[in-house]
Amino acid sequence: MLFPEANVQKSESVVPHAREPQEHVLPQRAPVDRVTAQRPLPMSLLLLAAVAVHLPLLLMKLPLKSYDTNQHIFFASHYLHHWFDPWNPKWYAGFSQMTYPPLPQQWIAVVSHITGLDLAYMFVQLVAIMLLVVGVYRFAKIWVSPRAASFAALGAVFLGSESFLVYSAGQLGTTSAAPLYLNALPFLYDWVRYGRWRAFLKGAALFTAAAAAHHATLLFGSFFFALPVLALALVERNEGEEMSIAAFLARTISIMVVVGAAIAVVLLPFWIALIKYPVTQTPIPHASRANYLLSPEWGLNYFVVPYGALILALPFIFWRGAGDRRLRPLLLGFWVAFLVGLGGTTPIGHLLLGRAFDVITMERFSYWATLLALPFVGLFAQEIIASFRTRAMVALAALAMCSCALAVSWSTYHPADAADFKVDSSAAWLNRDGHDRYSYITLGFGNKISRLAMETNAPSEDGEWNSGRLLPELTKYGGAQLTSSKYFGKAGLNALRAILDHADHYGLKWILVRDRYYDPLLAFAGWRPVDSLDDKTIIIWAKDGVPPFTPVNAPQMPPHWQGMMWGILPFGSSIVALLVLLIPERRRREEEVIDTYPSGESLVPGRLAS
Amino acid sequence: MSGRLLALILFAATIVFVVIGTVWPLPEAVVFAGGGALANDTSSPQAALRSFGDDIHAQAWGKAYFSLANRAQFTLPQFMADMMGYYPNLRTYSGLDTFEIAPVHATDTDAEFHVKLHWATVVGDAVDNRDVHVVKNGDRWQVDWPFTKQPVLPPQVIPVNYLRWDVIYRGAGDDWGAADVEQPHVKIIDMHPVQRAEGTFIMGELLNEDVVPAYVSVTATLLNKSQQPIATEGSFDKISHLLLPKQVTPFFIKFADVNLSQVGGVRMTPFSTLIPASADPVIEVQDEKLDTSAVPSLSGQLVNQSGQIANVAHVLGTFYDQNGNLVWVADQYVDHALLPQTPVAFNIHIPEDLAHKIASQRTVISTFNMGGTA
Repeated sequence: MLFPEANVQKSESVVPHAREPQEHVLPQRAPVDRVTAQRPLPMSLLLLAAVAVHLPLLLMKLPLKSYDTNQHIFFASHYLHHWFDPWNPKWYAGFSQMTYPPLPQQWIAVVSHITGLDLAYMFVQLVAIMLLVVGVYRFAKIWVSPRAASFAALGAVFLGSESFLVYSAGQLGTTSAAPLYLNALPFLYDWVRYGRWRAFLKGAALFTAAAAAHHATLLFGSFFFALPVLALALVERNEGEEMSIAAFLARTISIMVVVGAAIAVVLLPFWIALIKYPVTQTPIPHASRANYLLSPEWGLNYFVVPYGALILALPFIFWRGAGDRRLRPLLLGFWVAFLVGLGGTTPIGHLLLGRAFDVITMERFSYWATLLALPFVGLFAQEIIASFRTRAMVALAALAMCSCALAVSWSTYHPADAADFKVDSSAAWLNRDGHDRYSYITLGFGNKISRLAMETNAPSEDGEWNSGRLLPELTKYGGAQLTSSKYFGKAGLNALRAILDHADHYGLKWILVRDRYYDPLLAFAGWRPVDSLDDKTIIIWAKDGVPPFTPVNAPQMPPHWQGMMWGILPFGSSIVALLVLLIPERRRREEEVIDTYPSGESLVPGRLAS
Repeated sequence: MSGRLLALILFAATIVFVVIGTVWPLPEAVVFAGGGALANDTSSPQAALRSFGDDIHAQAWGKAYFSLANRAQFTLPQFMADMMGYYPNLRTYSGLDTFEIAPVHATDTDAEFHVKLHWATVVGDAVDNRDVHVVKNGDRWQVDWPFTKQPVLPPQVIPVNYLRWDVIYRGAGDDWGAADVEQPHVKIIDMHPVQRAEGTFIMGELLNEDVVPAYVSVTATLLNKSQQPIATEGSFDKISHLLLPKQVTPFFIKFADVNLSQVGGVRMTPFSTLIPASADPVIEVQDEKLDTSAVPSLSGQLVNQSGQIANVAHVLGTFYDQNGNLVWVADQYVDHALLPQTPVAFNIHIPEDLAHKIASQRTVISTFNMGGTA
């Protein structure tokens, strides 16, 4: 097993928890029952639960309805055909995929050789979900008892924010980096607290792989996740095996330096691209930055759906987190992530993130906040199950399932695209009769543009990866996808007009229109309808006199050595992480894990006594 | 610090942050919240009018309608039609981008404002000017919306007798414009480069010399003193792309980042191709008036002489000096549908510094029908 601590049933079930409340609530139970009541749920059961819940949904390809899934598959399709050439000419008249960490997409490309791209995406996403269960268990076990940690891991299976990001947002980068990061944190703790070199190696390898999956997770995760873990190690320095401040500092700095250097090398082309072409474009409004009270529809979308029944646990999180010295760092990490995740509901996100507040979206902070909340939820579950047994289990299961169901179904009630349609005919039209010698844009295609870009050979000036675009017409105004220009108001329409105005420059001849709203602009700007597809629901407009497309943005094309690095190092980091994890873990001494977890009785005497 | 105290502090701080973010919302949040207030502020005439504008911006039509003092005079659908048009037009799918309020007069019980609504339409900014009355009802101020009734024409038959040109293509798979036929003969009959604060402009006029209709466009390439290209731009929508035989259109090409002093030459490339066309709808310009006073403009009324609705009209004005030389080209999109026989006003702004040079003008109208072409 890659994560030896996950195999907890044998080792932990015999560890008596002297201050566990079960002694009070189950006085008449047989000893076997009492032992069972203290056991963590088996990891096999937790993983089976994850598979049972998510495998059918993924096999139904439900994430394809989300906002970003098709974009990830589009990136993966490029890696599939051009592993060492990250320059993709199909969007923005040419852009570099080195503007986004590639690990999940590269894994999709690899797996797609067997399953095809769509199912490869689902496979990678399923692995990420299963890793999350393991990661939450291991992370939570730093803070709470193994049994509570196992409840936290079970909660991760039904976590609303996870389902929201997987099935509605399609944020594969975030949902695959977070599990890697969570799995790295116990190693960080072991290294800093006990100076174990194996933990150092494993932690460094996992942190690097997490960065190769999603840079923002590592950057912000350091504050929300790693700082509390470091603070805990500091708080506990005199308990059990003593640790000096100097050792703490030396170990912390050493792993920071090594991980920082590893990430710098593995993602070197990314940093070069970021430094040479920083994201200076006009910010694009995003509803996750709304005030959720003033815009309750977005409050529902970005708060109620991701948090689900966790909202009911908030008082417990604050009360219990503040009441135990060990849990306070975790509470503070949760609290800050929670506030930032509220978007524009509070000024905190803007104050802490500065300009980044206008660039990144806020739902990932709510995701991290819910992950940080899970140890508390596990603790809560442990205590009320100890007190109320079946009734508590039924209530918790019902709440968890409702949270999960709401988040999974949200992509149906609040779809990324109102209309579902195929782009096969559009791709076929672009691919025939030399039409792909010119570039094209679509209007009214929503996030189908990723799918269309995968299926056609023709280049486009549009795209869905806003940070990768460099065309001045797109970066100047604050609109996002051209195909959805009208939803960005004046900014979006200005960007569309600017691109149309320079159609000759970009070889932009074809416009595939699925929204009659844009017809007046096209007509007055000199385009003419020339063909129709799909029972005239898609009209193809053309402009005469446009020269064929020639690649632009040539200065931004990365050199070959960067392409080689990009093809080898990020993917290689995940292979290295897998290999390093195979190094057997030395078993912890039992005294290190006994009686260090908070329990209800120790904090609020008699509270759970029957 | 005790746990309970810390919990209370964190909880209280959370509430305080939420209150701050709600009472003084961030600009990023205001974008999604209309005006950014939980309830409309009706404590003053300006506040009531601003709340009303915020509701329109947020397309909260019901909220805006029910805040009106004179809502009994019209229904919600009529109010929406007054804002967005009774028939499909530029405003139908547009959104209110910004609005400006200028007070005219105020008393304790009522106030008058001039309101300028900037609508973001697909072809650009459309400005709607309204004089709005605000009245005090009890302790709250309410907007008395100047509702415009839609004229209703009596049923009638309008005979149409217009020219139409059809083109026979080789087959269904033949792309438009690819037919191997001689292109219509067009000619640039006038061209002037002009330096303005916004950059260099190329203005001119293009004539369809042929006996068949032509789709036209013009591209200009500025050359430096060494006759090397500096920049290339097209006429985009500052031209009437459809030219019937012997028709003339002005064109106007903007080079935002080029100074005329850098320019050693201009290479003009007119483009034409054969297309099917009809002379319908015929749009007549009535009461045309050139005003060269303080706020110079060309105004008038467009009257649709056909029986079909023209959903969008584009007015291109060409302005000449006393010698008939081209001075300026300006345009305006009319954001109301042109109903048969129903005049719709237009007003084209003219730069103040050029107004005194202008002695005459010519107006070209192109139209777009939903489901049709320009």
